[in-house]
Amino acid sequence: MIALENTKCECGHQNAVGTVLCESCGKPLDKELQNADTPLEMRYDGVARRSQKSNPNIIDRIWNFFSSVKIAIYLIVITFLTAMLGTIYPQENTFISNSFDPSVYYEQTYGLTGKIYYMLGLTRTYESWWFIGLLVMIGTSLVICSLDRVLPLYRALNKQQIRKHLSFILRQKTVFKHKLEEDSEAWTESFGEALKKKGYKVHRDGDALLAEKNRFSRWGPYINHIGLILFLLAVLARSIPGWQVDTYISVPDGDTVQIPDTNYYLKNEKFTVEFYKEEELPEQLRGQNRAKLFETKAVLYKCVDDCADEPGAKPVLEEVKRHDIIVNDPLVYKGLKLYQFDFNLTPRLNAVHPVLVDKRTGEIYGPFHLPMKDAELVHELGPFTLKLDANYMEFAIGEDGKPTTLSREPNAPAFVFIVQGPGLAPEGEPYIYFPMLKDKERFAQDTINRELADKIEIRVDGMENVDFSEATTHLNVRVDRAVPYLWIGAVISMIGLLMGSYWQHRRIWLRVDDGELSLGAHTNKNWYGMRSDVAAALKKTGISAEPKSLDNGGNNA
Amino acid sequence: MGKWRKKIQVVILLAVFVIGGYAIGTALFGEERTGQIKPGQQPPEFKLADLEGGVHQLSDYAGQPVIVNFWGTFCPPCVKEMPEFERQYEKWKDKGLVVLAINLSEDTLTVNNFVKQFDLSYPILRDVNRKTEKQYGLRSYPTTFFVKADGSLMEAKVGGMTEEEINERVERLLQL
Repeated sequence: MIALENTKCECGHQNAVGTVLCESCGKPLDKELQNADTPLEMRYDGVARRSQKSNPNIIDRIWNFFSSVKIAIYLIVITFLTAMLGTIYPQENTFISNSFDPSVYYEQTYGLTGKIYYMLGLTRTYESWWFIGLLVMIGTSLVICSLDRVLPLYRALNKQQIRKHLSFILRQKTVFKHKLEEDSEAWTESFGEALKKKGYKVHRDGDALLAEKNRFSRWGPYINHIGLILFLLAVLARSIPGWQVDTYISVPDGDTVQIPDTNYYLKNEKFTVEFYKEEELPEQLRGQNRAKLFETKAVLYKCVDDCADEPGAKPVLEEVKRHDIIVNDPLVYKGLKLYQFDFNLTPRLNAVHPVLVDKRTGEIYGPFHLPMKDAELVHELGPFTLKLDANYMEFAIGEDGKPTTLSREPNAPAFVFIVQGPGLAPEGEPYIYFPMLKDKERFAQDTINRELADKIEIRVDGMENVDFSEATTHLNVRVDRAVPYLWIGAVISMIGLLMGSYWQHRRIWLRVDDGELSLGAHTNKNWYGMRSDVAAALKKTGISAEPKSLDNGGNNA
Repeated sequence: MGKWRKKIQVVILLAVFVIGGYAIGTALFGEERTGQIKPGQQPPEFKLADLEGGVHQLSDYAGQPVIVNFWGTFCPPCVKEMPEFERQYEKWKDKGLVVLAINLSEDTLTVNNFVKQFDLSYPILRDVNRKTEKQYGLRSYPTTFFVKADGSLMEAKVGGMTEEEINERVERLLQL
């Protein structure tokens, strides 16, 4: 193996490939850089990136790709741009209706551009494989870029040479030269004391000195990156089943429904909507329905037995939480959140408790329980027997002249009973019953029932015998297990940001050669502070220097 | 140092491969949470009772071509299809064709009365509380899913079909 460049410094230190400034004495290794007299580039203290190798193999090549900050910036910019594309039209997941058909919707609503938008898959930008892929690549780049820089930097800062090469010291951006009249060691000592008072850690090697302050701020960016990686992992973790749920359930008053893909059931005991009264509204809003309150009295149940999805199994439920859900006050239970989302005030008939009247005697039998769905097939009422022969949820006469149902909602329910009893045919006589008065009239119940209508009547006495749901509440079910991790990631990232922003890593090197003091200082930002630190310490030792005069050029902030 | 570097590189790249692969994979092949299942996807499993109380699972018919038809008595085109499916079933059942007709959560009496009018030999399954139809992302009725013997969806046909249309699809389903 032949090294492509000579990385051995004149001080005898063997540096890694890609090193700019000798890891030990700080002398520039590159010939061109040695001959220039501009201030040195101190990034990462001039150490080589970890992955820089003279003969990279395939793994090294992948690694080097992600190790490049240039690539990282490209990835971030591409992600930003594509994320912007996703905001042009609404994303598919913002539509909740089951009848929403994206292949039709976008073209219909936005024309050709909408169609192209849909064809390109931009209607699902943030769930697309390539967008997730970009995020994964950014994450990889974050890890590899950080690791490749933080480890060499840590090593470089951990074993710093105190006596640096003159060309290193004098090519810093803050430089001071002076002819010392007193003893060099004693002066260095007192200068060190002055710096200690300013919070510097001072290391001495005879008449050479290294003073350092706030090194921890160098780790800020890396801590920031750890936070970002955690944040990104939490975002990716949302694709784990059960980590993120965002669905909707509709619960009519009095019903209990299972929350999809969970072991929980929700009962809506009562939904209430209240509107502002006319006099409560300002002039310009009068005549409109302005909601004052939407409230669902909700009970959350957990299934404790027979929860398996077996046909006919009746799950055993146990109440776990009771809450009146209003807007922005969801029912919260172990990460599951139920928000008030919408409502529907169409009433739904659930059951009636009718009586059977023998018109000939005036005798009343019943009432009996008649739910709209899955009613008992036989009802014994005094001397009468009602056998349920057929039921229709939305009664109509079909094209073939036979009764049929138009839907499965109890919009116009009808029941056909075979009635047996005194004075009726022994095999029974058919009787059609419409629980809703409007249907009874519309379909002329008495005409259909003919002479039986003169003998008996099935009717409901009073509203207390009618069981109906006044409203249906629509709730938004949300689970987001990633949120705590997003917070932790955000906090760590913020800590890193603060560390790197509000503190600066300041270092001062000096050496005295034959009474000639050479001082160089470096910081990553706030050079003004750096120079005034140096000037103040110099003043304490009796050397007066204007902070401005220490400026050695370069791009100093 | 060199050995460690290699190990760390391999470990990190492997982690990226696994985590990233999982994330991208679920984005690529993951079941869409909304909408109807698409050709090539695996139709959701269900476990439903027939009229006699026998339990049928989609996976019971693995290796056989299956027609999963969602129907209701309130839907005239569904009603029209029922005897057509019966004839097709009789015609192709020796070749392994399975027909599962899932009723759209109507009540027992309604379904029984309806089925009595026809002489249907394929199983009529009873969905409960619209659970299965939701899993299948049904938007309108009837909808018929043609599932290939390998368990993947060949076609989801929304709307009624003529008998020839059913026959043509069954032939495609059986050819493989």
